[in-house]
Amino acid sequence: MSSEDAQVMCWLSPLEPNNRHQGVRNERFDGVGDWLLETNEFREWRDSIGGADNAVLFCSGNPGVGKTYLW
Amino acid sequence: MIDSLCDQAKREDIAVVGLYCDFPSQQDQTITNIMGAILKQLAGRGAMPNHLRQAFQEGKAEFGGRGPRLADMMRLLRIAIASLPKVFICIDALDECLPKCLPELLESLRSIVRESPNTRIFITGRPHIGEDVRRYFPKTLVIPISPNTDDIRNYVEVRLDRDAEPEAMTNDLRADIVGAIQENISDMCVGTSSSSTLLMMYTY
Repeated sequence: MSSEDAQVMCWLSPLEPNNRHQGVRNERFDGVGDWLLETNEFREWRDSIGGADNAVLFCSGNPGVGKTYLW
Repeated sequence: MIDSLCDQAKREDIAVVGLYCDFPSQQDQTITNIMGAILKQLAGRGAMPNHLRQAFQEGKAEFGGRGPRLADMMRLLRIAIASLPKVFICIDALDECLPKCLPELLESLRSIVRESPNTRIFITGRPHIGEDVRRYFPKTLVIPISPNTDDIRNYVEVRLDRDAEPEAMTNDLRADIVGAIQENISDMCVGTSSSSTLLMMYTY
């Protein structure tokens, strides 16, 4: 990336969400959360075409149940 | 989940962006910066679009230079999303978003979905945040998450296999450890720190 493009990126936002996903990915064990990908809700959400219906999938859980590791 | 969507994204021309709401600096956590973080990830997929360079130059040229305004950011974001057939926006720990940002964030997401109906949004958060989400997206699909028995058993098995003193392990002890942890699953967390603490208590 050129230095000007890097400046554009900084200008867009100081937040760096990519760094954190890398951290979670490194800590996570293979296969954790695979069950989620098999649920009807996930498939319906992923494959639905267009519109506000089914636009949002919400994984709801109390602190510490491992929501972040589903990423 | 993101990785699975990303694998799909490699095959098709779709984009997956992720946000964690517990940003270290709450001061930086404004709705404009959050939308900017989405745009940044979309822009980072390929060559920098010229209209973004131009918007940056215009912002810089103004007195003292300024950051993007929310309306500008939303306009730029809409252009980026509209150029892709499908965009997945994944937001972790929505309940950790600053309360003053939450309604604006949900409203902005709703406006994105209305304008680009192929946008899908994945949210994780504590159950109470579900009410806020449904206020903006009444037909939200919900999956309740509880500690998953299989995930935890696999984790414990792997940790036992990697134990520093394998000679101290017997089949009976191993079965006791796995059994006891599974029995107590409802009281524990799946996060690595608590599981390993519990395991250490059994090991010593």
